[in-house]
Amino acid sequence: MNLAAMSLAYLRARPLGASLNVVLLALGVATITVLLLASRQLEQRMHGDARGIDLVVGAKGSPMQLVLSAVFHIDVPPGNIPVPEATKLAAHRSVKQAIPMALGDSYQGFRIVGTTHDYPAHYGAKLGAGRLWQGPMEAVLGAEVARASRLAPGARIVGAHGLGGGAGAEDLHDDAPYDVVGVLAPTGTVIDRLVLTAVESVWEVHGTGGEPEEYQELTALLLRYASPLAAATLPRQVNANPQLQAGSPAYESARLFRMVGTGVEVLQGFGVVLMLAAGLSVFIALTNALEERRRDLAVMRMLGAGRGKLFGLLVLEGVLLAALGVALGLALGHAATAATGVLLEARQQGPLSGLLWLAEEWWIVGGALLVGLAAALAPGWRAYRTDLAGVLAEG
Amino acid sequence: MLSLSAIRQRYGSRLVLSLDQFEASAGEHWLVLGASGSGKTTLLNLAAGLLRATEGSVRAAGEDLGRLGEAALDRWRGRHVGIVPQKLHLVASLTVAQNLALAPWLAGLPPGAARAAKLLAALGLADKAGARPAQLSHGQAQRLALARAVMNRPALLLADEPTSNLDDAACAAALDLLQAQARDCGATLLVATHDRRARERFEKVLQL
Ligand SMILES: Nc1ncnc2c1ncn2[C@@H]1O[C@H](COP(=O)(O)OP(=O)(O)OP(=O)(O)O)[C@@H](O)[C@H]1O
Ligand SMILES: [Mg+2]
Repeated sequence: MNLAAMSLAYLRARPLGASLNVVLLALGVATITVLLLASRQLEQRMHGDARGIDLVVGAKGSPMQLVLSAVFHIDVPPGNIPVPEATKLAAHRSVKQAIPMALGDSYQGFRIVGTTHDYPAHYGAKLGAGRLWQGPMEAVLGAEVARASRLAPGARIVGAHGLGGGAGAEDLHDDAPYDVVGVLAPTGTVIDRLVLTAVESVWEVHGTGGEPEEYQELTALLLRYASPLAAATLPRQVNANPQLQAGSPAYESARLFRMVGTGVEVLQGFGVVLMLAAGLSVFIALTNALEERRRDLAVMRMLGAGRGKLFGLLVLEGVLLAALGVALGLALGHAATAATGVLLEARQQGPLSGLLWLAEEWWIVGGALLVGLAAALAPGWRAYRTDLAGVLAEG
Repeated sequence: MLSLSAIRQRYGSRLVLSLDQFEASAGEHWLVLGASGSGKTTLLNLAAGLLRATEGSVRAAGEDLGRLGEAALDRWRGRHVGIVPQKLHLVASLTVAQNLALAPWLAGLPPGAARAAKLLAALGLADKAGARPAQLSHGQAQRLALARAVMNRPALLLADEPTSNLDDAACAAALDLLQAQARDCGATLLVATHDRRARERFEKVLQL
C-alpha cells in the first residue's frame, strides 16, 4: 500500500468526476498553449523578416500597409513610386543600401517580386539549385514555392495578375512566361514564399518594358541607413516629398503587435480564466470527494494516519489530476497549433509549427500543478479538523 | 494497562459518562455492559484516544493520553490500539487485501504480508483478498474489520457491539474469534455491548 495506489483507487472509484476535471483543466491549458505558440512564432517570423530593414519607402497611404506589403508581403501596396524619385533617394548620403521592389503579379498565390540580387543576399539566401536571374523573364523560386509547385530550374511559369489570395479565375499573363533558372535554399523568412525576378521583368509583363526608365515605376524601396543618425532625419525628408512615404518596419510591426497583442492578451486571459475555473472545479470536486470521504479519512486517522499521509493523499490526488490535465492540455495545444500550421500552409501563409517547446510552457505546467495543489490543501486542512468520534459514529 | 480515573464526560453541559475508577490489566478480557445511551461507545472512544476526556484522565498502553498532541495520539493509536467499530468502516474503494494493508501502512509499520495472509486464512477470507467490501457478507465484513484491528498486534483491542444483529451461533462464533485473536496478541480486550448473551463468556464485566 502506498499513497499513489490509494489516490488511484479513489480516482478510479469516481471516474466521471475525475475525467471531467481533467478535461476542463486541459482545455484551459490548451487555449493558453495555442496562443503562446502562435503569437511567439508570428513575432519571431516578423522579427526575422524585418531584420536589417531600417525604412520602407513607397507611395502615400498608410505606413503600416506599406510595411506589411513590402516587408511581410501580406497586404496590397498603397501604390507605386516613380523610378527617378527612387533613384534620387537611393543616392542620398544617409542611405547605405536601397533594394527596389516591384510587385503586381503572383504565381499560384505566391508573389512575384521584381528586385535586385541584394534582396536574396539581405536574407542570406543561398541557391539550392540553378542560378540567380541574369536578365528579364528569368525567375528564381523561394524554397516553399518550389516545394509546393514541385518545379525545378528549366520549368516555365506564367504569372497571374494580382498579388494572389484572390478567389476565382485570375487574369493570366500567358503571353509573358518566366523561365525558372534557380531555386533558393530554405531561409525561414518571407523570401521562401516569393518568386524573385528582375525589376525589368515586371515592367515587361505590364507592357511598359519598352519605355525609358524615367517613366517606369517601382512599388517600394527597402532602405538601410548609412548611420543611426539617419533615423532622425530621413523619414521626415521622405515624407516631405509629395510622392513618397516612409514606414519603419520596427515601429509599424511593434504597433501592429500592440493592436493584435491586445487581442492575444484577451484570449490568453480567457485561457487563464478557463484554467482557474478548472482549478476551482478540481477544488470543488476534491471538497465534495472529501464530504463523501470524511468517513474514510476519519478511518485513516483511526488507524493511525499522520497529518503527512492525510495531506499527502489529497495533495497527490489534486496534483495527479492537474498533471493529467496539463499533459493532455499541452498535447492538445501543440496538436491544434500544428493543425493550424497545416491550414495556413495550404493558404501560402508562413509556417506555424506545433513541434517546439517554449520556456513559458514550464510556467503553464507550474501554474496548473499549483492549482491542483491549492485545490487539495483546503480539504486536507478540513480533513484534519474533523471530530473523529463523531464522524465514526455516523453511518 | 488501561486505567480511567475520575472521568466526567460531557457533551455541552450534559454528563454522558461518569466513572470514578476503572482498571484493566494486560491480557484481561472485559465486557462493558449497559443500556443504550449509557456511555459504552463513549468509554471505548476515550480508551482509544478518539475522544478527549473533558474531565479526568486516561492512561493506556504506557501513555497518559491527555498529554499527547493530536499527531502523537494518532501515531500512538495506530501502533497500540486495534478497533472494531460498530459500523465496521471498511474503505469501499479498496480491496479486502488493501484494507488489511492499510493498518500497518498508516501506522508507519512494515507491511507484514505474511501476517496478512495468515489472518485472512484464519478468518476465512483467503479467497476474498481481491474483493471489495461491498461484495462481502456481513459476517465476512465483520471478520475483515477484526483482521484489520489485530493486524498490528495491538496491546488494546476494542470492539463496539460486535454481536448486534447476529443469531446465537454467529454471536458465539464472533466472540470466539475476538477472544482468540486478543489472546494471540496478548491484548487487553474490551467488548462493549448491551447483548446479555455475551455475559457468560467474560469473567470481567463493567456495568455502566
Ligand atoms: N457527538 C455527540 N454529541 C452529543 N451527545 C452525544 C454524542 N455522542 C454521544 N452522545 C450522547 O452520549 C450518551 C452516550 O452515548 P454512547 O454512544 O456512548 O452510548 P452507548 O452506550 O454506546 O449507546 P448504544 O448502546 O446505543 O450504542 C448518549 O446519551 C448520547 O446521546
Ligand atoms: Mg454505542
